[in-house]
Amino acid sequence: MLKNYIIIALRNILKNRLYAFINIIGLAIGLTVYVFGSVLVDYERNHDRNFANTDRIYTINSIFSPAANIGIKRADTTYAAFGEFLKTGMPQLEAMARIKRQEFLVTIGDDDYYQEIRFADADFTKIFDLEYITGDASALNDPSSVIFTRSAAEKFFGDVDVMGRTILLDHQNSLTVAAVVEDLPANTHFNSSVLGEDDMTVLAPMLALKKLIDYDPAIDWGNISLGNRMYLLAPPNHDVAELETSLETTYEQHFAEDSKEFIIGVTLEPLTQANTAFWEAIGLPVIDSISILAMLVLVVACVNYTNLATAQNMGRAREVGLRRTLGAGRRQLLIQFLTESLIVALIALMIALVLLELIVPFFNQSLGKVVTLNHLSILPWLALTTLAVGLISGGYPAYLITRTTPIDSLKDGNSGGARTSIVRATMIGLQFVIAIFMLAMVMVMYFQNQKVKQTIDLFPTDQILVLERLDVEEIAQQTDTLRNELVRLPNVENVSFMSQVPFEQNNSSFEANINPGDEATGFSMNRLRIDYEFLSTLDVALIAGRNVSRDVAFDGPVEGAQQANVLVNELAVDQLGFASPDAAIGQSFHQILDEGSIQLTIVGVVENQNFLGFHNKLKPFTFRVESGQRVGAVRFKPVDVQQTLQDMEVVWDRVIPNYPMQSKFLNEAFEDVYTIYRSINIALAAFAVLALSLALIGLFGLAAFMAEQRTKEIGIRKIMGASVPQVVRLLIWQFSKPVLWALLVALPLAYFSMDLYLDFFSDRIGLPVGIIAIAGMIGVVAAWGIVAMHAASVARSNPIQALRYE
Amino acid sequence: MLKLHNLSKFYRTDEVETVALDNVNIEIESGEFVAIMGPSGCGKSTLLNIVGMLDSPSDGDYIFMGENVAGYPESKLSNIRKQNIGFIFQSFNLIDELTVEENIELALLYHNIPAAVRRERVAKVMDKVGIAHRAKHMPSQLSGGQQQRVAVARAVVGDQAMILADEPTGNLDSAHGQEVMEMLQSLNAEGTTIVMVTHSPAHADYARRTINLFDGHVVTENLRAAV
Repeated sequence: MLKNYIIIALRNILKNRLYAFINIIGLAIGLTVYVFGSVLVDYERNHDRNFANTDRIYTINSIFSPAANIGIKRADTTYAAFGEFLKTGMPQLEAMARIKRQEFLVTIGDDDYYQEIRFADADFTKIFDLEYITGDASALNDPSSVIFTRSAAEKFFGDVDVMGRTILLDHQNSLTVAAVVEDLPANTHFNSSVLGEDDMTVLAPMLALKKLIDYDPAIDWGNISLGNRMYLLAPPNHDVAELETSLETTYEQHFAEDSKEFIIGVTLEPLTQANTAFWEAIGLPVIDSISILAMLVLVVACVNYTNLATAQNMGRAREVGLRRTLGAGRRQLLIQFLTESLIVALIALMIALVLLELIVPFFNQSLGKVVTLNHLSILPWLALTTLAVGLISGGYPAYLITRTTPIDSLKDGNSGGARTSIVRATMIGLQFVIAIFMLAMVMVMYFQNQKVKQTIDLFPTDQILVLERLDVEEIAQQTDTLRNELVRLPNVENVSFMSQVPFEQNNSSFEANINPGDEATGFSMNRLRIDYEFLSTLDVALIAGRNVSRDVAFDGPVEGAQQANVLVNELAVDQLGFASPDAAIGQSFHQILDEGSIQLTIVGVVENQNFLGFHNKLKPFTFRVESGQRVGAVRFKPVDVQQTLQDMEVVWDRVIPNYPMQSKFLNEAFEDVYTIYRSINIALAAFAVLALSLALIGLFGLAAFMAEQRTKEIGIRKIMGASVPQVVRLLIWQFSKPVLWALLVALPLAYFSMDLYLDFFSDRIGLPVGIIAIAGMIGVVAAWGIVAMHAASVARSNPIQALRYE
Repeated sequence: MLKLHNLSKFYRTDEVETVALDNVNIEIESGEFVAIMGPSGCGKSTLLNIVGMLDSPSDGDYIFMGENVAGYPESKLSNIRKQNIGFIFQSFNLIDELTVEENIELALLYHNIPAAVRRERVAKVMDKVGIAHRAKHMPSQLSGGQQQRVAVARAVVGDQAMILADEPTGNLDSAHGQEVMEMLQSLNAEGTTIVMVTHSPAHADYARRTINLFDGHVVTENLRAAV
């Protein structure tokens, strides 16, 4: 009997090739997207499973006050100094280790490399069981030791047997290789940074930083940098709630008081979440969204199938009536129809599996991931999903077709009536709600991204080369010479040194106050260390007062002085409470230090410019000429750029022979960050295009089918003189109603969701009503186009064809 | 009114060529009532479809009101058709989803006639065929005779000069059949040209002239004295 069902099912599929193709492809796409989305989410959520202690390792996250105005909600780390209190505050911990990433010029033999090194507390090797090729876990105990991964050792030394070899950092201090470890897998948080940080290749003891850059984590209450994590190792069978409580108590008791306003709490996060912490930090639920979107695409595909199968089965009413007359029971018919839908789902599943095998390697290759399709774990679950999809989407049409009495089915080939057409219309509506909603989101994101991208125009971005690593003492001493030499190059217009260039996502700030004693008026002021060329190099307009000058004593650094002349932006003028930029000239305020303060006198006010760009809110800024510049901005004429770049390198090598020039164009730096926005948009666009295509494919199938059902009516209308466009219009209208209803649901939904999304940005596009309306129009017009395509051919056919067999 | 000259129609499939009409020559004057008779498959319906411009001849000329329409494209035919010709079918061919009134109005819908005028004309014609009391009913709620009266009303509401009826009484009992024939006769008396295909000799007697078809040929033409 089952064989019989299967044969009938296969014959039916072959007979209705177009519909079968639409059904199978639609379901296959739906299943592929759903499985791929789920596998990807599973992959991202299950990093770091390779460590023996994974379930006992935690990181500490900081929650920023909403008032902190730094553009992100939390950080995946906290102040290094806080770590010192954890040993006593959380006595149950077995170990605590912090990481600080720092780039050095590494000299090995005759070669120099700029290399990011991760400096870690000695307990790091206790927490993470690295696989030692040579050496052992004690490697970080000695402040002059260093650990290489296999690939790093091969890259730098050409060999893994490098115990005892030395490397020189910044021409000053040497470290000795004390261990070589196997590379860490790509699916650990160490090697999967969204921000494109370097993989973990060189590991050195935190203690070494004391000698190298005079850094002491025990007193660092000043820096929070994403990726410099703090790891905790809890004992086996620990109680998480208890750990959290003791962490909270430690925060209350030992966290720096003046930082508690800024960081309102710290949390304990399992290591497995470290990989997705970035999205938490910026407050965009990207991983969850992938899950939801993949699910929605599958829903669209299922609805597609249900709808088309329902319509198609209605056309088989006569067959069903005949079968029932011949004695088929309702149960048997149900089984027959369900067998058909299960076979379609099964074929779709096989196609999906093939598609997955193609997509996953491609995805891995292009994004450097190691997503694997573990068939053993996927297949049972996939089979269940397919079964569910087959039963759910086949169930409704099967129920409908077998419900009617045999005589009804024989008499009227077009049964079903108003109720099924309402169900059908609802399903089309649902598909379009999803598709139009996604489309609207994509478009709003796109236009917001364009707005974000405009921040690149705040500065002469494509005429700036950024020189990096100027904070190395040997380079810092040569900056004046470097500038003088560089500006003599024909295409170099200006050179300015500063603590950060535009678009760098750093917030360096101090507490500013008009009256040093009055806590109520204090606020956080962003600072930028500049030089005298800052305004002209970056085209920052002065709107009141004067620029800083080499000829005025307190405009520049004065040894031991408790005062300085500064430039501020308009927002700082407002927040300091001055009536206007002009009124602020000559006025003073204070930079509050741990002890005492520095009196800053405003000599110039510059235009508000969003120095951090992107989604950041405008911030009050103080620009002061002082030492501590990290980067240089070289402004060049946009002609013969390659030659200019070479000339600059020649100059650099002459002035600073010990360090190779490290540079990038400012627009490249911009792209590094912008690519995150763009990637999210592209990913969502892919989902939206899939959902819309599926909805349209389904609509096409349904339109083809419904037009067939209405041949008689179309024939009559044509005989009555209806023209082709008039008939097309009639058919389009039939499908317009559900799509228009979908608009009514999707557009407000998109509106509110987008409002939430846009809140993330300080400079957001206006109310996206127009954009959302366009998304709706695209959905409607596409639907019309699809229906019209088919309707036109039906409408053009000779009317007597339609009536001949009445 | 119309003239068919050496008109032929054949259908081709991959292997067989079927001749439906073979060198047919017919002339129909304005105001005539013509019946077309013949056994099943003799080409009656094909002839009617070509006369009604729902189908085009394979060969020969079709002169309609002085114009040779044989090679005209569908859009042009459609225009001539809706201005001049009304249709009545054996199976009524009413649209199930529309009311009686709306079905009749359909014939005016594609003529650029203002809604008020349409309603007025539909009301008038419904009175004429005696279906006004059923204006808001659906076709499925009517008897066969009533449905055919709606179809007749639809065929004449546009003041068409010619009505083509394809076995208008085929699905009706004799009483209703006679009713419809009387209706056609009175329309003819008012000047409407009527061409009707029928199997019933009795109903053919209502016509002034009978054309007998056999295997695609015109075999006889009988002219009756005016009633």
